[in-house]
Amino acid sequence: MLNDIFIAPFADMIAAPDFLLQVLWEGLVSGVLYALIALGFVLIFRSSRIFNFAQGIMVVFAALTLVGLHAMGVPAWVSFALTLGVMFALAWSIERVVLRPLVGQPDILLFMATIGITLFLIGFGEIIFGGETKQMITSELGIPTGSITLEPWGGLLIMEEKDITIVVISGLLVAGLLAFLGKTRMGRAIRALGDDHQAAMSVGISLQTIWVLVWFIAGIIALMTGIAWGARAGVSFALEVIAYKALPVLMLGGLESISGAIIGGLMIGMLEKLFEIYWGQPLLGGNTETWFAFVLALIILLFRPQGLFGEKIIERV
Amino acid sequence: MKHWKTLAAAAVATTVGSAVLAEGLVTPNLSYRTGPFAATGIPLMNGQKDYMEMLNARDGGIGGIKIDFTECETGYSTEKGVECYEKTKGEAIVTQPWSTGITLQVLPKTNVDEIPILAPGYGFSPMADGKTFQWAFNAPSGYWDGASMIVSYLDGKDGGLSGKKVAFLHLDHPYGKEPIPLFEKKAAEMGFEFLPIPVGLKEMQNQSAQWLQVRRERPDYVVMWGWGAMNAGAITEAVKTKFPMENFIGVWWSGHDADLALVGDAGKGYKSISWSFPNPDAGVMADIQKHVVDAGKSLSNADEMSGVFYGRGVVMSMILAEGIAAAQAEFGTAEINASQLRWGLENLNITEARLAELGMEGMVPAFSTSCANHTGNSGGWMLEWDGSKFVKASDHLVPDTSDYAALIAEKAAEYATANAPWPMNESCDAPS
Repeated sequence: MLNDIFIAPFADMIAAPDFLLQVLWEGLVSGVLYALIALGFVLIFRSSRIFNFAQGIMVVFAALTLVGLHAMGVPAWVSFALTLGVMFALAWSIERVVLRPLVGQPDILLFMATIGITLFLIGFGEIIFGGETKQMITSELGIPTGSITLEPWGGLLIMEEKDITIVVISGLLVAGLLAFLGKTRMGRAIRALGDDHQAAMSVGISLQTIWVLVWFIAGIIALMTGIAWGARAGVSFALEVIAYKALPVLMLGGLESISGAIIGGLMIGMLEKLFEIYWGQPLLGGNTETWFAFVLALIILLFRPQGLFGEKIIERV
Repeated sequence: MKHWKTLAAAAVATTVGSAVLAEGLVTPNLSYRTGPFAATGIPLMNGQKDYMEMLNARDGGIGGIKIDFTECETGYSTEKGVECYEKTKGEAIVTQPWSTGITLQVLPKTNVDEIPILAPGYGFSPMADGKTFQWAFNAPSGYWDGASMIVSYLDGKDGGLSGKKVAFLHLDHPYGKEPIPLFEKKAAEMGFEFLPIPVGLKEMQNQSAQWLQVRRERPDYVVMWGWGAMNAGAITEAVKTKFPMENFIGVWWSGHDADLALVGDAGKGYKSISWSFPNPDAGVMADIQKHVVDAGKSLSNADEMSGVFYGRGVVMSMILAEGIAAAQAEFGTAEINASQLRWGLENLNITEARLAELGMEGMVPAFSTSCANHTGNSGGWMLEWDGSKFVKASDHLVPDTSDYAALIAEKAAEYATANAPWPMNESCDAPS
């Protein structure tokens, strides 16, 4: 048993380094996608202290809008632009109809409101688009669909071009987001709101404008995530459950940390894949990905309750 | 505008069980048109519903009485399914639970409520034993039938299964685990290696770890017991990892046209065992077109109607309708009760001649049920994806039921013991 746990997995890694590279690559792709979803949660939490339960369904809604518009004969890139418009309209509506009347209410009420948004978007999405699986318009958007086969150490490494594209675009999106938050007035306003609502409002920062902006950015992230996941296995309401994969990322990285979301997502993506392949499948019958990330996050929370990158909150009473 | 119709259907489905007065024979369907499995459910539910709508419109129902084919939406959730069963059982003469998980939950309840469960091609395989499961029916074919046919088919290829490795990619859910006992038994008998690979509900669309395992283990064949989004996820991963499609076989719930359409030509050669086959030229389809689609009562569309799952939905409702008709003939009344329908479902005799009368030639093999055998063991066909649709790739295949009759008896007895006191139908012999 000790051999199976401490020696055999590493011997396997050394014996088949190409396979190890494949595992790490698949983990990286998954991790990037987890990080994207987690980013959507973090942005909204930072600016409004709301845990956005609707982030998962926003992914589905954005992806369905994109493929739905294209199915109506709208060219792919026009559909993309229109979907961005729809996500802006959604952000504006959420701020106007749901959040604004709840300003000053306890956080739990705002959280419950996002559950309401989720239920609304599920029903509304099914009315408009139906529940059937739809094909993502991957090639229409110019995303390559072939694969690159490499032979490291005489082995085999298959990398799908769409996965490479997704990793690159996600990296650019995250870099752009960090630049926006760090270098622009609006970005600094979002961070200021995250630090102290009342102080930020006292210097003229508009809560309403920032909320619309943040929910719109979360909508853009949802669209990108929807395209990435939809390109892998079609667009359907099953995509919603993928949002739950971001929960351990948030536990690990901290709800307020953008870098935590990114690093936490990548860590979980790669570690859960490594554990599943080298320990889970041989020793536990597989399917450890359903719980591994949660166990890892719990262990880390034991030592750092605020997560790896979260801020320690000290409240004076 | 079809989705506005879907809204209407969902509204009806979610509000059923409230103050709706039943008209005719109430045959609730615990449907799943929403949620992660909706893509699989919608065409099946549409086929079921349209057949009953057609009978109502064309014949005034069955035996002169209308069928109230009401739906209760479960989203394929076992908890919601049990709620739906409780909500709809009042006037119901049957329940159609639509998930192995829901079936297992309501199985003991139906003994008390005395309502037949009709689970065509799904549910708990030992339900074949009518002596033990007197209220449960999974005709025309059970999961162990499917597993048996797949094993026989693979054994007939490339020198047989002995010494080969078969990976079993399955949903980590009661449904996905259902055929494992039979596969394990056959692996021990025939000398092949059986490798179960579970897929969690949250991993359905990202099966890279499972397919890395396939790549590492290099199985000769992959057999899939997938449902909903898992099918599309697996097929796209198989294409990505360049697994030979001709060695990839799914059960009948993994043979959905829409899942394969996602990969198109790259999925050529993929196979699915099936006890149903669509026949767009069949008389029944013309009647559905005339009485339901043209009358604006259908939620389906031409593409979906030509697919495997819609046709299977039609067959499922035919099985229920034939059970009702048999009971009406036996008891001399149109307004049969649940107990009388149980008799009807136990005395189904779907011959080729009867299928021709029904306008359903080639849509399902002939089969019959009995007091002892609630499955019917119709057998089926191996279907193959040709890049744009499923085509028949075999003659009529039949399961070797003698192979697992003892296993059925054993598991049925285990279930009865675990749930004692369990009522038995002593008038039945053991399943043949």
